[in-house]
Amino acid sequence: MAEKNTYKQDERLDEPFNIRHLLLASAYIKKYLPKMILALIISALGAAVGLLAPIFTQKAIDEAIPKADKPYLFLLGGMLVLVFFISVIFALIRSKLMIRVSQSIIYDIRKDLFAHLQKLPFQYYDDRPHGKILIRVVNYVNSVSDMLSNGLINVILEMINLILIIIFMLIVDVQMTLVVMCGVPFLAAFLFWIKNRQRRAWQRVSNKNSNLNAYLQENIVGARITQIFAREDENAKIFSGLADDCRHTWMHAVRCNNLVWPGIDAISVCIRAAIFISGMILFGQGSKSIGTILAISSYSSRFWQPIMNMGNIFNNFLNNMAYLERIFETLGEPVTVDDKKGAAEMQPIKGAVSFRDVCFSYEPGKEILHKVSFDVKPGMSVALVGPTGAGKSTIVNLISRFYNVDSGQVLIDGQDISEVTLASLRSQMGIMMQDSFIFSGTIKDNILYGKLDATDEEIQKAAKLVCADSFINGMQDGYDTEVKERGSLLSQGQKQLISFARTVLSDPAILILDEATSSIDVQTEKALQQGLNSMLKGRTSFIIAHRLSTIRGCDLIMYIDDGGITEAGTHDELMAKKGDYYHLYTSQLEDIA
Amino acid sequence: MDKKKYPKSRLGWLWENMSGKRILFIAALFGTALYNVLQLVVPHYSRQLINLFSEAEKEHLPLADKSDTIYHLIFLMVALTLFRVVVVYLDCMAYERVSQGALFRIRNYLYDKIQRQDMKFYSTYRTGDLMTRVTGDLDAVRHNIAWVIRCIVESLTLFLSASVYFFLINVKLALCIVSIAPLIFFIVFRFRKKVGPMHKALREKLAGMNTDAQENISGNRVVKAFAREEYEKEKFDASNKDYRDTNMKTQMVWLKFFPFVELIANALPVILLLVGGVFIINGEITMGDYTAFSLLIWAIANPMRMMGNIMNEFQRFSAASDKIMEIYYSEPEIVNHPDAIPHPGRFEGKVEFDLVSFQYEDGKLPVLKDISFVAEPGETVAIIGETGCGKTSLIQMIPRFYEPNSGKVLVDGVPVENYNMTDLRKNIGLATQDVLLYSDSIEGNISYGATALTAEEVEKYARYSAASDFIHRMPEGYDTIVGERGVGLSGGQKQRISLARALAIKPSILILDDTTSAVDMETEKQIQHSLRNLDFPCTKIIIAQRISTTKFADKILVLKDGRIIESGNHKDLVAAGGYYSDLVKLQLGDSMVSAS
Repeated sequence: MAEKNTYKQDERLDEPFNIRHLLLASAYIKKYLPKMILALIISALGAAVGLLAPIFTQKAIDEAIPKADKPYLFLLGGMLVLVFFISVIFALIRSKLMIRVSQSIIYDIRKDLFAHLQKLPFQYYDDRPHGKILIRVVNYVNSVSDMLSNGLINVILEMINLILIIIFMLIVDVQMTLVVMCGVPFLAAFLFWIKNRQRRAWQRVSNKNSNLNAYLQENIVGARITQIFAREDENAKIFSGLADDCRHTWMHAVRCNNLVWPGIDAISVCIRAAIFISGMILFGQGSKSIGTILAISSYSSRFWQPIMNMGNIFNNFLNNMAYLERIFETLGEPVTVDDKKGAAEMQPIKGAVSFRDVCFSYEPGKEILHKVSFDVKPGMSVALVGPTGAGKSTIVNLISRFYNVDSGQVLIDGQDISEVTLASLRSQMGIMMQDSFIFSGTIKDNILYGKLDATDEEIQKAAKLVCADSFINGMQDGYDTEVKERGSLLSQGQKQLISFARTVLSDPAILILDEATSSIDVQTEKALQQGLNSMLKGRTSFIIAHRLSTIRGCDLIMYIDDGGITEAGTHDELMAKKGDYYHLYTSQLEDIA
Repeated sequence: MDKKKYPKSRLGWLWENMSGKRILFIAALFGTALYNVLQLVVPHYSRQLINLFSEAEKEHLPLADKSDTIYHLIFLMVALTLFRVVVVYLDCMAYERVSQGALFRIRNYLYDKIQRQDMKFYSTYRTGDLMTRVTGDLDAVRHNIAWVIRCIVESLTLFLSASVYFFLINVKLALCIVSIAPLIFFIVFRFRKKVGPMHKALREKLAGMNTDAQENISGNRVVKAFAREEYEKEKFDASNKDYRDTNMKTQMVWLKFFPFVELIANALPVILLLVGGVFIINGEITMGDYTAFSLLIWAIANPMRMMGNIMNEFQRFSAASDKIMEIYYSEPEIVNHPDAIPHPGRFEGKVEFDLVSFQYEDGKLPVLKDISFVAEPGETVAIIGETGCGKTSLIQMIPRFYEPNSGKVLVDGVPVENYNMTDLRKNIGLATQDVLLYSDSIEGNISYGATALTAEEVEKYARYSAASDFIHRMPEGYDTIVGERGVGLSGGQKQRISLARALAIKPSILILDDTTSAVDMETEKQIQHSLRNLDFPCTKIIIAQRISTTKFADKILVLKDGRIIESGNHKDLVAAGGYYSDLVKLQLGDSMVSAS
């Protein structure tokens, strides 16, 4: 796994300029290729029609006006209007097409990125600040659309334009064309020089923006912590440092960026001068007519215009590549926990859970679990106890296959869970985690998350079962009370009750409670326990808790320490054994007595 | 458009934030005018050059006769272009510098504003929304300075200088051409009316999408636990689609106006041709005059074409800056009183509640009613009560996160609102229920409130909170980086680090909000022990569920429905036979029954 990242660290990007990214990008374009080709043709036609305009104007000046032929003049004026009218319509159609295409491309990339993020394991989210993930989904994707749609079309149009002009110039005069073209190597060298600088520079910009976003997100979420530690000044300094990094890297990047257009402009004027001078010399030798010089000079300015436009697109491209790279890096992030090929649906779970020599480590070389084996019969309630950090949460996380085991097997009803689809497995499990996450929305929405099509009665029943009904009814709008982000209006215990109701509503075959009731007071917990007991009948459950009153009645208690199960049995058996559990239990009694 | 009143207009606000870069900004404006005038002048020389060549061609004269003039003109053309190019570059960089300067200033100001807000603000604005304002919306402001304003100056310069030139040549023809301009303004203002609200909606959709994505990322564990990936995808797809469609609609608005603007811009050369042609025929102008007009007609037409784009971008800026200014000019309700007394030193630690009542603004019922108690310096006060009885609200009044509706909260005999907030909070160590760690090293997290801590001290506080053992067992020890919100650590581990963080500032008042709920009993015993033996004086206010925690307190407050129903020490309360003694029986009795 990649090392953990913080807001202070730039994300590394080792890959050199990668053509693979462009190929990946082309996959997004492919879908809209017909529309884009259509837009291209329409643009080309529009440009071709536009070429008629100078002809009509010329005719008016050369013929109609000298002859004082007003009707002819007005006819030509009418023709001009027609030409413009047609090209405006063409431009309109192209714009309509391309607005759809470019917005659809953003939409597609963002959709895929989001879908991919849903597949990524916990580890991915644990290893980096969330602000750094967020900036990719929202800000970066916004940046790249124009490059992939209009940028591409314009490059092709300008290319066609350029090739046509070169052909015209070659027809007029080969030697003079070479004079015009002699600017090209300079241009190529210039752009190459810029490119290397720009790529790194824009990568730095994206890195620093990502850092800023990470810090911002953490500190908005943690504003209360900042305030209680009166760290505002310190934080403002850090933020200012990050913002300054953004400013400096930006200024550095635009230093090259803004050079492209003036640079090409400068090269082009030098070439024009060269045309005149060499024309004079050649004309002096009598080999060129002045008309040729004039023609070439006018083509030369038309030769450099598309190049300048392409320079701008090129700039844009370099800028956006830095973002595109990040997007495709995320899309290329390996999905470590995924459905196997041809994975079957998990059959309705009866509830037998077995571990067979399960070894597991979060980081290579640091085994958390070593050859853990146990069997749980359907309907049993199992308590996991032991010191913090011993691996209790890890065991329950493996049952839901949030991580893959290093070796060994996790079986449910005799079925290896790595052989079934994740959705079919997890949708039958109810997992309540330590950190009870509340979504913004109403209390009802939050409970509904457990079963999207539940009726109001079902919701209320679940809430009653976990003793949440009374406090919910006491709130301003009852079940329709908005709980705001992270449930900021609720106490921790209330949050736990709501997420408990959510889990109960999902009607799981296997229930996993990971310190689910730690913030709930003892009386409420006791009442909750009664409701829960009726619900647990016939369901397998795993409970991690420190309050021994919660654990005492379980069918099987496993004491977890040193990467394995050191003791297992019922409360009475373990008490008789006078081992670890006995010590844990008696120490708690001593405390109270 | 409905506009909230801010102390400054949008542009006034921008100007204010250009502080320090204003001269550069004005210079940049002049620079823009300069290079645009140069853009009109340079073609003049290349035209003369071409004229010389064509005359030579027509009259079959050798060019050599005029070589001096030609070289002179070539030199002027190259030199002026190079000069223009340099001006362009410097000008662009000046705009970048000004816009980055303003961006930097506003961003810092916004950040500071956000982090000093009160709780009401945080429950009003969602994280993703605030982030959009500080990033995406602010970028629209930057773009406005770096690009939109420049384009406006550019268009104006071109338009005005070309107009002046035209009027000098022929007033009548110039009038015919320039008189079309108001039509463009009319169209563009119509456009503004239509597109303004669209941009507003667009900013909202962007913020909405950001919020959805942000919540999904933060809640990724719950999403996986319920296998709700598909549901989340659908939900995000809706906001993604919404954003796309609004974006398309916004751009389509311009397409409704675009044909008219484009036709008017294109009409200019036609009008020139027709009117100019008639004028030539009537002998009012010469062919030379006509050529001069036709060569510069683009300098009138292009600014007109630009107007739509400029207006579009300007509306984007307006919508974005409205969102930013909303935060920029927002004021928290809980602020330092003007006559707040500074108290830089250490507090004694006496905490007193005097008939405090409290109700959340959007709440139906009072949370706290007539709470009175005193915690003398060095005492331990335990608060116990059912879920949602108001314990957390109570302790949040001490650092002034909320203010009572009636009654007083006093520290060292002085009402808390009379202190400078920073002084007050620096003396309070609070470990919250909802543990929030930063993605930083464990050491960085512990020393969050006391940055100057040595490694030994960090370890000492980790020992106090019984965290040193598990930290030592980690391969990188105190340098281990914990994920955002401390993911990767168990609940108990997070709580212990948050406790160490609160202890590390050596608070005179330590508030623990159920900080050991996820810690096993053995560890809790250790923590209780070290809390009784801290090496600095400290008043402790502890919310707890376990009798083992409350047992040693000097005073126990039992809270029910926002009122203190019992208070006293463990012995007294057990003897009194009320709620507390029932609780003791419940916790103890349970264990006894099963132990037998």
